[in-house]
Amino acid sequence: MSEITVEKLSYFHGKDTPYEIKALDGIDLKIQKGMITGLIGHTGSGKSTLVQMFNGILRPHEGKVLLDGEDIWKRPKDIRKIRFRVGLVMQYPEYQLFEETIYKDIAYGPKNMGLSESEIDERVREAAEFAGLEPDLLEKSPFDLSGGQKRRAAIAGIIAMRPELLILDEPAAGLDPRGRDSIFQNIAEYQKKSGSTVLIVSHSMEDMARYCERLIVMSGGKIMLEGNCREVFSHADLLESVGLDIPQITKLTMMLRERGIELDSSVYTVEEAFEKIIKLYS
Amino acid sequence: MAEPFIKIENLSYTYEEEDANASPVLKELSLRIEKGEFVAVLGHNGSGKSTLAKLINMILLPTSGKIFVKGKDITIENMRDEELLELRKTVGMVFQNPDNQLVATVVEDDVAFGPENLGVPSRKIRERVDRVLRDVGMLEYAKHEPHRLSGGQKQRIAIAGVLAMLPECIIFDESTAMLDPLGRRDVMSAIEKLNREQGITVIMITHYMEEAAVADRIVVLDDGKMILDGTPSFVFEHEDRLRECGLAIPQGTELIHKLRRAGISLEGECVTLEDCADLIERSLENKGN
Amino acid sequence: MKGISFGQYYPARSPLHSLDPRVKIILTLLYIVCSFLCKNVLSYALLLLSALLLVALGRIPLRIVLRGLRGVLFVLAFTALLNVFWTSGEVLLFEWKFIKIYLEGIYSAVFIMIRIAALIIGTGMLMTYTTTPIALTNAIEDLLSPLKKLHVPVHTFAMMMTIALRFIPTLTEETDRIMTAQKARGADFSSGGLIARAKALIPVLIPLFVSAFNRAGDLATAMECRCYHGGEGRTRMNVRHMRFVDVIPLFLIVAFGAALIVFNILAIGYTL
Repeated sequence: MSEITVEKLSYFHGKDTPYEIKALDGIDLKIQKGMITGLIGHTGSGKSTLVQMFNGILRPHEGKVLLDGEDIWKRPKDIRKIRFRVGLVMQYPEYQLFEETIYKDIAYGPKNMGLSESEIDERVREAAEFAGLEPDLLEKSPFDLSGGQKRRAAIAGIIAMRPELLILDEPAAGLDPRGRDSIFQNIAEYQKKSGSTVLIVSHSMEDMARYCERLIVMSGGKIMLEGNCREVFSHADLLESVGLDIPQITKLTMMLRERGIELDSSVYTVEEAFEKIIKLYS
Repeated sequence: MAEPFIKIENLSYTYEEEDANASPVLKELSLRIEKGEFVAVLGHNGSGKSTLAKLINMILLPTSGKIFVKGKDITIENMRDEELLELRKTVGMVFQNPDNQLVATVVEDDVAFGPENLGVPSRKIRERVDRVLRDVGMLEYAKHEPHRLSGGQKQRIAIAGVLAMLPECIIFDESTAMLDPLGRRDVMSAIEKLNREQGITVIMITHYMEEAAVADRIVVLDDGKMILDGTPSFVFEHEDRLRECGLAIPQGTELIHKLRRAGISLEGECVTLEDCADLIERSLENKGN
Repeated sequence: MKGISFGQYYPARSPLHSLDPRVKIILTLLYIVCSFLCKNVLSYALLLLSALLLVALGRIPLRIVLRGLRGVLFVLAFTALLNVFWTSGEVLLFEWKFIKIYLEGIYSAVFIMIRIAALIIGTGMLMTYTTTPIALTNAIEDLLSPLKKLHVPVHTFAMMMTIALRFIPTLTEETDRIMTAQKARGADFSSGGLIARAKALIPVLIPLFVSAFNRAGDLATAMECRCYHGGEGRTRMNVRHMRFVDVIPLFLIVAFGAALIVFNILAIGYTL
């Protein structure tokens, strides 16, 4: 298991053009090993740019990305190897499916790694299971699948590379509540079984609160908050001020507090709110 | 009783597929929508809610059943062109993907597209375009290129484009599903405004409960059938039934239900967060007395 | 690829920007004709001057216009050299083994360079730099509208152009996104031979075409819902009426052409 650290990382969109924008501004960060971390920020906060630096899709203009203490750009020719170690599932990944069958599509990454047929077969089946795909779907064409199944196939395509760090950019975007829950459950299960490090990028606070152990909040190309859920949600008003949606239940407890009802801050699940409020009646 | 704005009778629809045993996505659905109503249609993916929208807008023709808009049967084949245009002008539609519904390379040209198709005189189009862009808060972007705007802004341009045809009803087919929270908030407030201020009938297809809570009425579809129909407060009472069809009630409402089940008396509506806070505050006060 | 701008349109306020696009198209055609009327030193000097005058009228930084020439620098240099070495004449300037350079060769090289540069700058200033693609499309539709009588689907072509212009940035972004996604799965677009590289593009092209088809379907539905039914009975928000100032440039360009013809008859300066 390996870890990602970034030091003084900066990146500009459209560098040296009139449209130049500073997307990342001197970021120092360490992704904790062996757990699910959530990366939160509104559109344009730099979160998608940051994750594309982790696997060497984008090259920093300033600063370093370290994988196990080693600069990933030390040998630029070997950057592909970094991408196998740091798996990135992009937003709406179902658009990347291209093979005739789901099986072949999941095998695309492992094939690029130069693995043997039997090794590929093992990985494809394992990844499909992790992503919650029925084995009989493997021989189907990606275009015969439902939206949710396509999403899972695309995620399996990354898991099949057995990355040490798995990054998912908005894995549940556009899915209905049932699909959302089930995909997050699959990710949590995958993390538990494989013991790997997972980073989820999202702006859905409710999902993040439920599935992540640690949270990182970005705003304006910088890290604004970092810590476990409780620490982060105790700054609910700060989160709201930068255009983030805090969980409804956190909003409700904030309201009650404003009305003079004594509740401590940083409640972010319904169960917790229930426990605390029921005590007020006893 | 007066003729409703939209009347749907025993509507069924089956997508034609190669295998003959394709199951229908809508089954004998009946529904009446009055003029000026704000109706949210809820359901998980595949519940048939988007198909319903496409049927009302005549993108699809039903397998069986009838739809009447302002008393006119719209399910007949070979409808005359003028009638078809009149219907599409009356019932506008905003889709899910903001990128796939804008036609022109400049915002105001896109908004003008509908009225241009309807043959509205140039000067009138200009007036309408300026007015509807102001209505959705995008007037300052009139000369911008759509592809440089955010998702929420694009979606408001799409709304303006429909408004410019002076519709009586707008269907939103998961129009906020691809947006970030800020974009969603902006689009939702634009939708609310055009219903409350201009009296436009809104049919909003969504799977976000918080959005549905804003509506006057919620219709819940599951497996092509209507399972609940009523005010948000009424629909949210059926927490278990909703959960069975993959929907979750808003967290505030869920908390109130939990407290009630624990024996605490909380009387009244609990749709919005304010409602919930009021209920808890009041009951704690009563307890103190 | 963020911030990509399609075409060369340079937003500014200038007499050229506000000129009726239809007039600009006619001017461009006439300007091309004029450039071929040039035959002697004076007329080429006038041509060069007119190109510079257009740059000034369009209020576009010379640096941007010159950057546009960079792409054709090689062609310019190549044709100039061809003319220098292959034109024979009466005044021999230089001779070494089989290479002979005549004064006429130098002249014709300079002339051809001026002509190409003026053509590129002139058409650029009149059309691409100062007119948005959409205005240009509408203008072409207007100018070709007499063809409608011959049942040429002018409106359909114009609509196709508009949609293409609208979707170029969207599909460019999409391509970028798909390439990134495949790179994350170890795709390698930059090494190997020609065939290997072409093969590496399949995982990009297939999803791109699928997406383009889906978008096309969505767009067609959306257009139908907005009452699109072809060009019949359609009006336009922006109808441009020819103003007096729009007609002036037409007189100017005719005068310009007339001057060139006069210069040719008088054979002022060196004449080819």
